Amino acid sequence: MDKVRRLVLSWEAGLVILAILVVIIGQAVDHDLISSYNLQTTALNNVILLCLALGVAPVIMTGDIDLSIVGTLALSGVVMGDLMAHGTSAGLAITVGLAISLVCGLINGLLVVLFDLPALAVTLGTMGAYTGISFLILGGLAITTFPSSVVSLGSSNLTGTQIPFAVVVVLVIAAIMAYLVHFTTWGKSLFAVGGSRKAALFSGIAVNRVRITTFVISGFLAGVAGLLFLGNYQTAQAGMGASQLLPAITAVILGGVSAYGGTGTIPGVVIAAILLALLQSALGLHGFSGEGQTMAVGFLLIIAIGAPPLGRSARDWWRRRRADVVEIASGGTGESKGGSTSTSGASGVEVRSTAVN
Amino acid sequence: MSAAIVTADVAGSSARRGRIGTLARRSDTALIGLIVIITLVATATLSDFRTLSNINNLLNTTALIAIVAVGEAVVILARQIDLSVGAIVGICAYLVGEWSGHVSGPFGPVVGVLLALGLGAAFGLGNALLVNVFKMPAIIATLATLSIYTGLQIIVNNGSQLYLTQVPKWLAGLRGNAWFGIGTFIWIAVIVLVAVSFILRRTRFGRDIYALGSNPEAAVYLGVKIRLRTYQIFALCGALAGLGGLMYTSQFGNVDATAGSGMNLTVIAAAVVGGVSLFGGAGTALSAVLGALLLGEIQNVLELTRISIFAEQTLQGAAIVIAVAVYAVVSRRLRRPVRREAFLSEHPTLDPAAINAAGGAANG
Repeated sequence: MDKVRRLVLSWEAGLVILAILVVIIGQAVDHDLISSYNLQTTALNNVILLCLALGVAPVIMTGDIDLSIVGTLALSGVVMGDLMAHGTSAGLAITVGLAISLVCGLINGLLVVLFDLPALAVTLGTMGAYTGISFLILGGLAITTFPSSVVSLGSSNLTGTQIPFAVVVVLVIAAIMAYLVHFTTWGKSLFAVGGSRKAALFSGIAVNRVRITTFVISGFLAGVAGLLFLGNYQTAQAGMGASQLLPAITAVILGGVSAYGGTGTIPGVVIAAILLALLQSALGLHGFSGEGQTMAVGFLLIIAIGAPPLGRSARDWWRRRRADVVEIASGGTGESKGGSTSTSGASGVEVRSTAVN
Repeated sequence: MSAAIVTADVAGSSARRGRIGTLARRSDTALIGLIVIITLVATATLSDFRTLSNINNLLNTTALIAIVAVGEAVVILARQIDLSVGAIVGICAYLVGEWSGHVSGPFGPVVGVLLALGLGAAFGLGNALLVNVFKMPAIIATLATLSIYTGLQIIVNNGSQLYLTQVPKWLAGLRGNAWFGIGTFIWIAVIVLVAVSFILRRTRFGRDIYALGSNPEAAVYLGVKIRLRTYQIFALCGALAGLGGLMYTSQFGNVDATAGSGMNLTVIAAAVVGGVSLFGGAGTALSAVLGALLLGEIQNVLELTRISIFAEQTLQGAAIVIAVAVYAVVSRRLRRPVRREAFLSEHPTLDPAAINAAGGAANG
């Protein structure tokens, strides 16, 4: 019973309810939201975002941040595209590209952990550096022809269905990440490190190793996102995918991962990404242009992150007020009011207003 | 007894402030040295660099970034962050350009500047509201408002562009004007630098900011009004971004829906390169200005040497990483001996020399 209660009251359940609301309202207003074509397009447009979000989620869970994911995406995508354009086989090109993304992540991890530098500043710097290298490789050019295997990875459907192959790939990645984060020792140590680095260190967790691996995973999944980008949009150009950074981090935070680290779930991140995708699609169908959708994402973030604390403080305020009313009703005098004013500073104001009323 | 504790605290904090001051001065001097070296080398080797128009161009571009970076620095000093400044610059650039056209006469510039500061401060207060009332971490709150303000910017622009010919004469000519041979932009930057430096060093607000950035919990116990200060720092940051928006209109002439979109990271980079610690509590307004100047100069030299405009981003990124690493190493080096001295001055009996001497005396 307690388990059921916890599940119903969980963050993820709230997101699911929001998503259902979006679907119901969206479907009622425009009837195309749940059409297979629209779902397919929406899913394909958001696989890259989800892939990046899955990578950066463990980093944020440990209390760090990785802004360089879009730089890594661009660099590995451009390298893959460039190699393929010069006749390298797709397999080799992809291997090299993914290896580069691993190295990018490792560099971040080493800089942040071994030199003990703020992750925000380091990854801000490496974001510029990685994006810049992708500019150095391709200049202002764009590569638009790719082997059919890459294209079909990014934009074809699973045989016999209407489910895009890329979506399956990302969902498999999500399942693997969920296993790693929620069912392994490494995953448990993520939350320990995010909760308190010192406590984690004292309880024998290899804090440095855990933090570095999160950056490596983040880099690697950014590389995978680069590959999906090539397949989906069939373009490789410097700085590609740059607009995906803030939406990806938004999905992670909306998914219930605390920006200070220590909490969050992978299913939450997946549901948040789906919610964002549905919301944008519904708004788009209703004729809202890009800016309306962007603003909606911002408001959603504020409601999701800001509403619970606001609700809590409103509840506390109400309880205090009621307690004060009871106190006054039961013959509380000026002294008792003065007493409560001095002991709890914030409630003092409420006491006075009640007394005036 | 409590009086004794208070005195001890004051003594301790003033000693610590002295130390932080030394550190800041050292990083500032190093930065100035670097800027001077780059300037000398560039002047000697690049004939295009030493032209008056190039120097003016460099300083004007830097002034805009520097002013916004100073605001960002104040926020970072208090251990917060504002990711929405770029959008604030963009909106204010458009609205100030358009609205101040309706006010003619001698009051035009005054109204324009007040409008820029006020609009920017209002957007900043929006950020602070989320941090204070909704209890959101600043990085998330300003991420959300970045989306919202960018959306607003696009709505306000409504697909049109603002051209230099549409804005009032005083605004269009602001960039080209000069007082005593020095461009208006540079004057504005200097005024902002002096004013914010004064506020940070000489007022209670400034001391509170450093206290908040060094240790927020301790600051609360010291009686720092944390919510009020949060409103103030975000409003100040927003107001300076608004001023940056006004200058943006004058500088670039045409303002579209993407105006200022790249500035968020640039101003944070300038502050960080200048030595403002992302952990809060360390750095000055001058740091942010010097950081902006260094980044601007590197960019200018790269453009002139025509290495590749594509190398720019790589080098800027590398500059941030190197700067952060150097500050970390230097501050650790500086802290170590200081800590030991401070400890020994508090516990003179534990000084190895004193113990040896005492041991020698006892033996003898």
